[in-house]
Amino acid sequence: MLSELSDAEVTQRIAAGQRDAEAEMCRRMAPRIRLYGLRHLRSAAAADDLVQQVLLKTIEALRAGRLRDSDKLAPFVLGTCRMTVLDLRRSVRRQEQLLDTFGAVLVPEPPPAPRLDGSQLARCVQSLGERERSVVVMTFYDEQTAAEAAAFLGLSEGNVRVIRHRALHQLRECMGATA
Amino acid sequence: MTTPRRNAGCSNPIDAAVLMDYWLAVLPPQAEETLEEHVMTCDGCGDRLREMIALAEGLGALARSGSLQVIVGEQLITHAGERGLRVREYAASPGEAIQCTVSADDDVLAARLAVDVTKASRVDLSWCDSRGIEHRRMTDIPIRADTDRVICQQSITWAKASPTSTMVARLIAVEEGGHERVLGEYTFHHTRTIPGPPGWEMP
Repeated sequence: MLSELSDAEVTQRIAAGQRDAEAEMCRRMAPRIRLYGLRHLRSAAAADDLVQQVLLKTIEALRAGRLRDSDKLAPFVLGTCRMTVLDLRRSVRRQEQLLDTFGAVLVPEPPPAPRLDGSQLARCVQSLGERERSVVVMTFYDEQTAAEAAAFLGLSEGNVRVIRHRALHQLRECMGATA
Repeated sequence: MTTPRRNAGCSNPIDAAVLMDYWLAVLPPQAEETLEEHVMTCDGCGDRLREMIALAEGLGALARSGSLQVIVGEQLITHAGERGLRVREYAASPGEAIQCTVSADDDVLAARLAVDVTKASRVDLSWCDSRGIEHRRMTDIPIRADTDRVICQQSITWAKASPTSTMVARLIAVEEGGHERVLGEYTFHHTRTIPGPPGWEMP
């Protein structure tokens, strides 16, 4: 089973020309690249585009044997993510050109997003203490910084972070999270 | 760092709060780099990060829905207006009675309660009916000692369903030993303008 192979073994098989190993690498890395893209590009569509671009660059590099240390697949992919996001930020035009060229080659299938019970979440937020609820609302309304919330509350940014962490812990417990 | 196989358990799971800090882009650069290196090799933590993103998005949608009763800052009201949301605000001074309503296309409802809190260490906001019976108390609300007002966002969902009625807001200083001192009382005479079934209780 390819899914049982280590990253290094998958890398070696790609270098040896095994196409099914490429598929396994894509299956394994696409969700991780997408998470990186979501965090840094703040858009599901842009994250999907990043997945395509990084996977293409990775496959090209692996086929060409440019990854000398087969145990370094994840660092290589992460580095490629970082460089690609930098490139995207430098030039939107270049992004469009890349997508025109490669857009249809790899269509990532993102993992299903975790389901969230909105009504339960509303009840959980309403059950928070007033300070916690205010910090949660101010933080997530449009991702205000801790500095903005701190200025409103007359607290330090560190205290706001502690309140936010406490609130999130309560919310996750209320929502039935286990970890 | 080892490379766990897909679906394998994580021997060193990242704390949920740290994952949320990462999503909020508030981690120091070195910590962010370390986290990314780990998540690029760990599907368990990737799954948990996905849960954090879903939670953050759910909280964002809830916060922007205007359906929460919550003490907010001036900036949030400003941001709501900048986002194109229709904000209905009522400002009241202590002892004042206000005629108010909401319309179907309002998105945010806020009460600005003028108050002097300089000598109060803890302030509660009590919501009463016209008979003075308390229906909800917002305990130890977040306020700055130098503020001259409290902004309370009222649930727009609740307000739109509310029949014509009177609500009294009381800002109360709670001192050591539990002694309470009313800092201000504000009366809101709400007139319903949206058709709908009558009959409900204050939250």
